[in-house]
Amino acid sequence: MSENVLHVENITMQFGGVVAINNLSMEINKGEIVALIGPNGAGKTTAFNCITGVYEPTNGLVSFNGEVIVRNHPSGKMKKLYAGENADKYPEKPVSLTPDRITHLGIARTFQNIRLFKSQTVFDNVLIAKHLRRTSNVFTATFRLNMKEEKRMRAETLELLKIVGLEGVKDELATSLPYGQQRRLEIARALATQPTLLLLDEPAAGMNPQETEELGEFIKEIKDRFNLTVFLIEHHMNLVMGISDRIYVIDFGKQIAEGTPAEIQDNPAVIAAYLGVDEEEGVQ
Amino acid sequence: MKKSTKNFINLVLLALLFVAVWLIERFAGASSMLVTVLKKGAIYAVIAVSMNLLNGFTGLFSLGQAGFMLVGAYTYAVLTIPVAKRVAVYQMYAGGAIHFQLPWIVGILLAGVMAALLAALIGLPVLRLKSDYLAIATLGFAEIIRAIIQYEKLGPITNGSLLLKTYPTFSSVLFPFAAAAICIGIIVLLINSTYGRAFKAIRDDEIAAEAMGINLFRHKQMAFVISSFFAGVGGALLAMYQGTLQANAFKSAMTYEILLIVVIGGMGSVTGSVLASFLFITASEWWLRFLDSEQFIGSFQVPLLRSGFRMVVFSIVIMVVVLFFRKGIMGDREFDIEGIAKWCRRRFGKGGAKA
Repeated sequence: MSENVLHVENITMQFGGVVAINNLSMEINKGEIVALIGPNGAGKTTAFNCITGVYEPTNGLVSFNGEVIVRNHPSGKMKKLYAGENADKYPEKPVSLTPDRITHLGIARTFQNIRLFKSQTVFDNVLIAKHLRRTSNVFTATFRLNMKEEKRMRAETLELLKIVGLEGVKDELATSLPYGQQRRLEIARALATQPTLLLLDEPAAGMNPQETEELGEFIKEIKDRFNLTVFLIEHHMNLVMGISDRIYVIDFGKQIAEGTPAEIQDNPAVIAAYLGVDEEEGVQ
Repeated sequence: MKKSTKNFINLVLLALLFVAVWLIERFAGASSMLVTVLKKGAIYAVIAVSMNLLNGFTGLFSLGQAGFMLVGAYTYAVLTIPVAKRVAVYQMYAGGAIHFQLPWIVGILLAGVMAALLAALIGLPVLRLKSDYLAIATLGFAEIIRAIIQYEKLGPITNGSLLLKTYPTFSSVLFPFAAAAICIGIIVLLINSTYGRAFKAIRDDEIAAEAMGINLFRHKQMAFVISSFFAGVGGALLAMYQGTLQANAFKSAMTYEILLIVVIGGMGSVTGSVLASFLFITASEWWLRFLDSEQFIGSFQVPLLRSGFRMVVFSIVIMVVVLFFRKGIMGDREFDIEGIAKWCRRRFGKGGAKA
């Protein structure tokens, strides 16, 4: 049994009366590439946001390398409104680390709608992520008493840009890059925070088949090189089936299947969720 | 161009600037309009750059600058008035409650520190707000600070709403220039450090910045405190320039003046703020002064010109800038030797590029 990295337990995320994620549990082990798939609006990105601290889930627990990073139970107004399960399972004091703390622990992410620092160059976009592992304080940094660290940050940034193949455009404005390269830059920026778990939110969105194939190779390559665990949301089934070790499928916020790519492809519930079911025939 | 060459050229230019200013003072006379404008312009440059650090580089729309300047100005004045003269200054309050005098340099530093401490305190609640709400809250705090300083019960310290005077001032124009060079130099170093990059990241995209491990609150607080420190120092310099000090002058109109400078200069451009400071002060104190008095051409009285009309013109200017030149003079670029070279090459044909 391999080592558990991310443990998601009974997460429910309810916005007012809308249950976006319903009692979702997932396990991600070290060195795996795990995909999260589901039809549009199934709650995939919401799940990511709950793991990375952007949203505070209404109920449930997330732990990373054994450390609880998110824990909550319905409280306040939600106590009455709560429509999920396991409402009394996590009575302990809620834990809700901010996104920067979670990144500090080693979870990095990219965004579905690319969020680069628009006014900055490619190089600076990655360099900013190096700020996280600084040892200087604002005085030593301002008065340039940290030149060694600054040099190290710059060298590491350049190294990373070489690895992802963006060295040639390092002085371009980030937003002037073609779409595929912007996605790559976002991954590079996430890698610069030195994560152990990388969350990719639709990394292949808007890419053509060839770019998608290259991306698959790229993800495997960085996974081996940086000793990562990868958890990704994706719609391109070729990519998902090609690189994933395991797949979680959710629909309407609930997990409907889990397994290897081969198992998922033959799973009737998954087919039904994606293609719809004829009500008279039911699931074949 | 290599970085070291660039730094060298910048230092040479700075030295030349000081020589030029010194020469101007020598030959134009210390009380000439030009020198007055240069003095005030340098001080406003510090304050405008400090505001730009917050509004332009960190993306926090704060309107508390006048309040922090006021704290700085009062801290400086109160602590540096000579003991012998306190009886005369604090007439209404039996010589005041403070019976010591600090050297001016300590006074200036403490002016910054007091403003920074206050900013740290105010920042705790208000920095959780965003955009317009932050602006409203900081504006409110600035007004509260002014009201507190004018509070009669604090008279033994602040002299209430009466004038503070006889604190040490400067006479040479080189003093505000040196102070401005140091302050702006430090802010530029900060902006180009790893912390400055984090500030810009927050401005560009808060969610992405946080996902990159930047603690939003701590960094906003840091920018707010540092900006206020320099606003406090700027306030102290302004007090020195004016010679007398009264809380009434630090109304929100002063914040708007500085905001106007920052917007005209370009949000996110230090050199833009500096240029715009001198431009604004020269215009308001010198070139456009005539708008405020009745003018006659022959026996014809020019209509509209009367006391206060200058502010009408300024209001129109800010509207025009915001409508048509939203990026200001510099946008978010900087005015440097490399930029000038590039601009010349573009402007004066391809011959320059080959040479």
